[in-house]
Amino acid sequence: MRVEMSRSASADPRSWRAGTEEAATGARLAALLFDRLVDLDDYGRIQPRLAVAWAHDPAFLRWRFTIRAGVKFSDGAPLTPTEAALALRPLLAASRQLSVEGDALVIQSVSPMPDLLLELAAAPYFVCRAMPGGALAGTGPFLPGATPAAASANGAAANFPDATARLIFRANPDAWSGRPYVDAVEVTFGVPAQRQFYDLQMGLADIVELTPDLALRAAQGGLRTWTSAPLTLYALLFDESLPAAADPRLREAFSLSLDRASMAGVLLQKQAEPASTLLPQWLSGYAFLVALETNMDRAKQLRAALPANFASSAEPLRLRVDAPGDMARLLADRVAINARQAGLQVKVVNRAGASGATLAPDSAAELRLVSWRYSALLAGAELDSLAAGLGLARATAAAGANSAQLLAIERRILGEHDAVPLVILLESTGLAARVHDWMPARRGDWRLADVWLDAPEPPSPAPLKPAGAQP
Amino acid sequence: MNFRTKLFLIFFLTVGASVTAMGWGVERYTRDAFEEAEAARTSALVAQFQKEFSQQGEEVVNRVENIAGADATVTMAMRLAQPNADATIYVHDAIGAAQDHGLDFMEFAQYDGAIVSSAQYQARVGYKNEWIGAAQDWGSSDAFLKKEELPDGVALSLTAVRTVAVGDKNLYVIGGRRLDESFLASLVMPAGMRAMLYRNLEQGFIPSALSGPAGKIEQAEKFGPLIEDMQKNPRQIVETLEWSRDAADAEIFHAIPLLGRNKELLAVLLVGSPRRDLVLLLRRIQQIAVLSGAGALLIALLVTWWVSARITRPVVKLAEGARAVAAGDWEARIQPGGGGEIRQMGEAFNEMTRTLAAQRERLVQAERVAAWRELARRLAHELRNPLFPLQITLENLQRARSLSPEQFGEVFQESTQTMHAELANLNTIVGRFSDFSKMPAPQLQRTNINDAVRNAVRLFEPQFSAVGKPVITPEFYLDDALPEIDADPDLLHRALQNLVLNALDAMPAGGALKLRTFPLDKGVCIEVSDTGQGLTPEECLRLFTPYYTSKQHGTGLGLAIVQSVVSDHGGTISVSSEPGSGSTFHIELPLRPPNYPVIPGGDAPEPDSSPSGHDSGPEKNS
Repeated sequence: MRVEMSRSASADPRSWRAGTEEAATGARLAALLFDRLVDLDDYGRIQPRLAVAWAHDPAFLRWRFTIRAGVKFSDGAPLTPTEAALALRPLLAASRQLSVEGDALVIQSVSPMPDLLLELAAAPYFVCRAMPGGALAGTGPFLPGATPAAASANGAAANFPDATARLIFRANPDAWSGRPYVDAVEVTFGVPAQRQFYDLQMGLADIVELTPDLALRAAQGGLRTWTSAPLTLYALLFDESLPAAADPRLREAFSLSLDRASMAGVLLQKQAEPASTLLPQWLSGYAFLVALETNMDRAKQLRAALPANFASSAEPLRLRVDAPGDMARLLADRVAINARQAGLQVKVVNRAGASGATLAPDSAAELRLVSWRYSALLAGAELDSLAAGLGLARATAAAGANSAQLLAIERRILGEHDAVPLVILLESTGLAARVHDWMPARRGDWRLADVWLDAPEPPSPAPLKPAGAQP
Repeated sequence: MNFRTKLFLIFFLTVGASVTAMGWGVERYTRDAFEEAEAARTSALVAQFQKEFSQQGEEVVNRVENIAGADATVTMAMRLAQPNADATIYVHDAIGAAQDHGLDFMEFAQYDGAIVSSAQYQARVGYKNEWIGAAQDWGSSDAFLKKEELPDGVALSLTAVRTVAVGDKNLYVIGGRRLDESFLASLVMPAGMRAMLYRNLEQGFIPSALSGPAGKIEQAEKFGPLIEDMQKNPRQIVETLEWSRDAADAEIFHAIPLLGRNKELLAVLLVGSPRRDLVLLLRRIQQIAVLSGAGALLIALLVTWWVSARITRPVVKLAEGARAVAAGDWEARIQPGGGGEIRQMGEAFNEMTRTLAAQRERLVQAERVAAWRELARRLAHELRNPLFPLQITLENLQRARSLSPEQFGEVFQESTQTMHAELANLNTIVGRFSDFSKMPAPQLQRTNINDAVRNAVRLFEPQFSAVGKPVITPEFYLDDALPEIDADPDLLHRALQNLVLNALDAMPAGGALKLRTFPLDKGVCIEVSDTGQGLTPEECLRLFTPYYTSKQHGTGLGLAIVQSVVSDHGGTISVSSEPGSGSTFHIELPLRPPNYPVIPGGDAPEPDSSPSGHDSGPEKNS
């Protein structure tokens, strides 16, 4: 099975930076090699993986996970609670204490952990084993195989800096979950979006990542596509340390001038949803309660009340595009156009390159366009992670908070316009016709072990050579 | 400045002015010719640009028409014309259309102007192009200049619009090419010329908006005034820009306004032509003009010198002849040369000198006769005075023969005494005439004039205060700073004695004798004044004539001797007088008489014991 990806990433969960596309790509690679203790099915039910049973005390302060017996890592070492504890220790918060009780792994905390299962069912809580030399061994359905371009035998654990690196994952016949249907997964990294599209059309790839415009073209062209839930937030952040951005009226005027519906429906060709909150509806459950409508008249009124030099032609607001990709640039341009209608002049600076490489974020700017790729299954944890990752000062600890509390936190952030959500982008995947049982999670996990392919067509017979012909 | 020099200068200046005028005329003609050629080149380039512009516009129109006629575009128009059409599926179509047809700018817009797809500014999708609905005849319109908004700013576009009509709903196809450096690079420029484009997309002059085929323009700020002038009043402007102090680095720029659909100034085409060739050519011409002018002036110098010499030679001869005549050469003649007026002038001069010489000869003879008559009269007068007593005495002596011997003896004694006295008188008269005829040549030596004046006066001091004689008071006004001069102190003493004696004679009733000396520019002046009755103007005129006297017993030689002495010293003597106010004699002597040797160390002669004690003593001008 041939898979093409836009960027390379490391499969080592410890190296992932929350909220980035690299982390999402890394999670997809890690899912080939490693397993979590538990998983979440499409119906929102927790399913056992490396943990076959779990129990907790009434206060949710102590959880006990029984580790599946007979499971071996790819290097032959058996999976033990100790190995699981060693793998999870760097990933869990320091307040979580891990211990081993017989065949069980125990996680304790001084604060209740009612959602620990959902937390562990999400990236990056994979169980892997560090081998000598730094490579990681896992219990997943695939084994790290040959690497035509580079990498070691355990290359899946390494970073893949080469933009066009190719990595082959062999089927693990001894996988505890059973041998996957395909013999190998050949992943090519750093393939441009257009090339992926063409490869899919020409049958040179089985699974590709599609940008919003290509997803639409693929659908129009009759290709198979799959679209995830909204997974990547695009938002504006104000730098309140700068005079122009410190005025809340300007931030509000800016927010009111934005036409999110056009951004999502026209520019992104309905491959995104307008964002009214920082967390998507599928994760928070309350997003529909918040409406961020465009109000150009009010925006102009607020602008008129501002000092003339604020966001003027002479001193435009600087909008730095920190989010990678052409789409971020497109959104930044649209933001500038919207703001200009309200009388706010914006100059887009320090654009990210077309390849998605983020430029050094050292230039001062009143505004930043950022992106955040959701990875958690818990709204509170995601909001905390997002607030920390984006540097939202007004966010308070949301982990463990209920929906109402989370909504209040978001309202406070949105009310001050520290962060202005724009759109939440869906992820589209192009599928070859021979791909079967494509059943990914809506949150973006691909589950390639369940996929099977039609047998390739036999090669056409070579034309007969005429008698006496010389080679 | 003599006539020849004047003539030479006139010729020389005339030739120089002619050469200069010719050089200036050549330079002017060359400059005009070059600038005409320059203007022609620029006009050709502008025409080429306009042709290129027109061809580019036609090309853009063709491409936009091709896009508008493509099946995909027609399909898009049909779908968008349907109710609730989903325009989002065409968001990226403009990019492909632009790439396929080689356009830099491409947009599709719905019937209401809303952008369906934009190749150059994708973020504007959904926004309306308000201007597009204003025109109704896009189907036949030409390409036009348009300010194109881009994410990074604005650009200049050569744009064409076509429509695809589906029912009453149009799909606007808007395509264009960027008017930038590549467009300039497509222009075939004559050698040395260059073209620049200023994109007038913002207020004021923005140096970065000016670019050439190679991109950025050095010293773009120098175009600021020109562009700002153009912004105020779009028109074709020609201006010269100096890039350095060297005039050869200057460039002539023709600024041509490029207007948009609404006659707004969107760009300025600047066609530059270097002045180096012209300046170098002019410098070459100037060098040649200077060299040829210098050569011409040199030739003119020689020719005019020769010509002026040839022309002025008769005049010079004439002048020399005139000077000779003035110097007393009455026989001076010139050789009349050349012809015409010059020859006539020479002949007239010769005739004039012949006439003057003849007249002078007659005058000299007349004067000589008159002088002899005067001398004879004076001699007769002088001699008659002693002769008459001699005659009487002799007759008395003859008559005394009849007297007694005692009486005869007494008469004889008395008569012989008288005859002795008169004979002595006769001898004196003859001696005076003899002295005048034997005036010696001056023996020059350094002489203090003030001393000479004092010595001359000292001789007469006894007479100033003699009993029974009128009182005469000498007054000295002698300048102590008077320089010594080269003079014969004896002759000078004699002359001064005569003047003093004359002054004393002029004051029989007493008075003041004033003696004054003072320096002149190149000599000294001596003034001897009396307070006598003075002289009439007629007397003043004749005063220095020999043998002229206004006195009963004068010989008329005193002032003649004075004048002779002064003249021998190279000086002059004059008299000023008014009747009743006395007379003043002015003697001006040079520091050194010409053509006389100087005896070093001489002093002024001591005065004689009496006015008559010198052989050459003063002569009463009586």
